[in-house]
Amino acid sequence: MISSIAFAGIVLAMVWFAPAKASLGAAVQAAGQNAQRGAAPPTTPANTAPVKPTPRMADGHPDLSGVWWGGADVGGRGFRGGARGTPTVSYTSLYQPWAAEKAKTLSDKDDPTLKCVPVAFGTLNVSLYSVGAVGQIISTPKFVVMLQETFHGYQLIPTDGRPHRDDVPPAYRGDSVGRWEGDTFVVDTTNYTDNTWMFAEGRVSFHSDALHIVERYHRTDFNTLEIEARIEDPKVLTGPWNAPKATLTLAPFDMVMSLACTGVETQSLMDGAAKLKQ
Amino acid sequence: MKRKALTVLLASIALFIMAIPVFAHHSFAAAYDTNNPITVKGVIVQVRLENPHSWFFLDVKGADGKMERWSFEAGTPSGMIRNGFKPGVIKAGTEVTIKGFHARDLTQKVGMLNELVTADGKVYGQFGPQQGPGAQ
Repeated sequence: MISSIAFAGIVLAMVWFAPAKASLGAAVQAAGQNAQRGAAPPTTPANTAPVKPTPRMADGHPDLSGVWWGGADVGGRGFRGGARGTPTVSYTSLYQPWAAEKAKTLSDKDDPTLKCVPVAFGTLNVSLYSVGAVGQIISTPKFVVMLQETFHGYQLIPTDGRPHRDDVPPAYRGDSVGRWEGDTFVVDTTNYTDNTWMFAEGRVSFHSDALHIVERYHRTDFNTLEIEARIEDPKVLTGPWNAPKATLTLAPFDMVMSLACTGVETQSLMDGAAKLKQ
Repeated sequence: MKRKALTVLLASIALFIMAIPVFAHHSFAAAYDTNNPITVKGVIVQVRLENPHSWFFLDVKGADGKMERWSFEAGTPSGMIRNGFKPGVIKAGTEVTIKGFHARDLTQKVGMLNELVTADGKVYGQFGPQQGPGAQ
């Protein structure tokens, strides 16, 4: 009996620390669906060609340009559902006591993305993705432009060392400034509104207008972009939250789609489902 | 024997958990009852490829012979298209059979699309063709 439990525990531990090769097929299975596309388990084709080096701009800085994803879009073969790395504490585990109590009063139906309000960070812990799983960077010496495909968002990041703007209102995605530290592009974002969540999919994750996010972008080779993010919110969190390190792959296409958010039908379903619980 | 059976059971549970991804579609589970599968046959009125999720609207003849409007929520437009779903491939007037799960709110004729089959036998999953090429 004890050895059986130990065996299961070892297997579960292997599962927990293993890279999650989740496809949407698995995500849907988790939601109870039992019919899936007949795709083979997601795999990355063996790449026997030498890895190309990081491309550089005329000023010598790495060129971060490209469409970046986790190997596939949501629903595609090879879709990887989240950042890798060792398990980290969750964002909401750092809620101050009052915030933790407030979180208990909120649920899926309160998710601002149901009304097409974007997230302040990213559902997959990647701000470049916003609510989705694909994003594009256009790198120039003066500005780095982040294009979030889902919800049609963008972020202009000046690289000339200027301070944050003090003449603009708070924004869903804040105000960003960037600087190079060697080959790492550091993005500092403040001046967020307080009416978004950090993630979508009904994951309660509100923040305040004191939200401050510092991201570090490092293109390690031609096909790979690593992103680390440190989130602070002294009004809501007991301390900074470090998002799991994200490793993005260069997509085999050079343009994201133009996809605004227009669907708000799910809100009434969430409201209806919530009433059933009362 | 009992110990062996328990080992197999626990291993099976562990293997099932392996299928659960780090990122689960939380909002689908909140809105739809996966214990309430439904099958609906009707005629497509409109397909909307939109964010955050696409929608299929169809007219269905009810048990009383009257036409009812049903809505089924599907995948993200970018995910569907990159999984081989061509915009416009399912046109208004197409006869389809949709399998899915009913919204938890039973007052609404809404479901989560799990599988769509056209009259000529083409099969589409939540994110596009069942036998699609996969990502991009």
